[in-house]
Amino acid sequence: MTPVPITDVALLVPELILVGMALALLLVASRIREAGVATAGTVLAAALAAVLTIWLMPQSSKSGFSEMITIDGYSQFFKVLIASALGLTALLSVKRVDVKFVRPAEYHALLLLAAAGMMFAVSSLDLMTLYLGLELTTLCSYVLVGITVDKPDSNEAAIKYFLLGSFASALFLYGMALIYGATGTTDFKAIALILSQSSLGSDPLFVAGAGLLAAGLAFKIAAVPFHAWAPDAYEGAQAPVAAFLATASKAAGLAAVGRVCWAIFKTPTNGLQFDKLPPEVSMLLVGLAALSIVVGSIVALAQTNMKRLLAYSSIAHAGYALLGFIAGTDAGAEATMTYAYFYVFMTLGTFGVIITLEDRGETLDGYQGLAVERPKTAALMLLFLLSLTGIPPTAGFVAKFVVILNVVREGYYVLATLAVACSVITAFVYLRVAVLMYMKEPVAASADPEDALSSRLPLAVSAALAMTALITVVGGIFPGILTSWAVAP
Amino acid sequence: MSEYIGVVACFVIAGMIAGGMVLLASVLGKKTPSLEKSEPFECGETPFSLPGGKLAIKFYLTAILFILFDVEVVFLYPWAVIYRKLGMVGLVEMGVFLGILLVGYVYAWSNKALDW
Repeated sequence: MTPVPITDVALLVPELILVGMALALLLVASRIREAGVATAGTVLAAALAAVLTIWLMPQSSKSGFSEMITIDGYSQFFKVLIASALGLTALLSVKRVDVKFVRPAEYHALLLLAAAGMMFAVSSLDLMTLYLGLELTTLCSYVLVGITVDKPDSNEAAIKYFLLGSFASALFLYGMALIYGATGTTDFKAIALILSQSSLGSDPLFVAGAGLLAAGLAFKIAAVPFHAWAPDAYEGAQAPVAAFLATASKAAGLAAVGRVCWAIFKTPTNGLQFDKLPPEVSMLLVGLAALSIVVGSIVALAQTNMKRLLAYSSIAHAGYALLGFIAGTDAGAEATMTYAYFYVFMTLGTFGVIITLEDRGETLDGYQGLAVERPKTAALMLLFLLSLTGIPPTAGFVAKFVVILNVVREGYYVLATLAVACSVITAFVYLRVAVLMYMKEPVAASADPEDALSSRLPLAVSAALAMTALITVVGGIFPGILTSWAVAP
Repeated sequence: MSEYIGVVACFVIAGMIAGGMVLLASVLGKKTPSLEKSEPFECGETPFSLPGGKLAIKFYLTAILFILFDVEVVFLYPWAVIYRKLGMVGLVEMGVFLGILLVGYVYAWSNKALDW
């Protein structure tokens, strides 16, 4: 065993910043009574982590900690994305979380630790570190979902999420154990090498292990049939927490799926890289993606709660995002990364609007006649809804276009047709909200002075909304500017 | 298999010590039975009550803190075994680990989790 050189710590600088800030917040937790301090700390740490991720990027990819952790273009992309989602979530939390029963320092510390876990997961080259990162994320998420202890539905959501989540983690762990049994290693490169040199692909032990691993990862991105937790967890959680789960957590899960597919099944052994994923892996992904798109789109039609609707929408979006990986080419992986990027910002924006509307934003009825009462909020919501549907010139169109283009190029015509057809169904889902906002009269003109008061947004929430809207628009018109640095693993 | 004899011996000796103590206590110990002592008990809870009743959370807090610190300190043993091979880096890493653990301790303390 060779000792790890201390310089390897440089690979983990962004994670260390987030963990450091989380620990600092915990140390003073009992003295922080205002959300502002904790929010500022979190945003600062997120910004610093994003900047340092870009600034400390080496010329070529580097790995350390006995080949367990890497920095490359792929991990850099997702780390910046996760840091942005963290910062925006912290800004959006200002309005919702500053209530009696949630202590701001703990809340923000959990957000920071979850984000650190995600960053750790996206840069791991070994099943052990991948598991550690994902587990750190989900453990924090369980608590975040149930952080409003005084609300029974929040507790219920946390318990459901915890039970299903621990099953998924156990499956993942069992899959890891089986793969270790079949290959004698947990290192991606070593597994790939054994896979290319032996008949491991037909070894039932390895196949079962890979299947369990896929189930564990599908749970993290809430792909059908491992999606059941998402609507309940999002509904019970505070809106900013649901936003964080739907965006950062999903992006990290997608990154992990891509990393596993590319590093194990598509590796450069003897300097060569296979053109495509093996057909078994592609078929598995096709199944997950097709089911997610169909079920997510159709079940969303029946929802009357806005957060549940967005949960099913996020399930469908997970399916769309997987399309790029199915294509199996590097261009396909880059398409998925583009999708993840735009999806994160438009979803955060949608949740942001829900947050600004407070209790009214939770149900679909609350949007009735919004355009008359609060035209700016309604316009912003319309922009995000159009983007989620995938209508040009928004970022959502670009995202859907690139992933579908890549599967068509690789000859998955049926899948592409299905994706386009379901996107018509989702148009109905999202535009229903738009119809409620613009074509219905307000239920009752509330001349409540308190309502007018609460419509003045805190600066932090406005800033977050402005940034997500900006990226949704700019991404739709000049997609190249924002996603040119998406690099396949 | 012979290298596992030590483990078996450890099990046997540990069993003998624990069993011996229980045996000696039950033979030599002074017995003053009372109503409270004869109750089947678990974590100080009332043995029979309807679900949904109130329960003292203090015991659980103590148990959770115990598990946290106890389980995490277990990592010190494998670290100590290969300490020399790890060198300076290992020492720093364990310092970081214990530092994080200490933050948790301070957090528990400052939030009055250690008060009874």
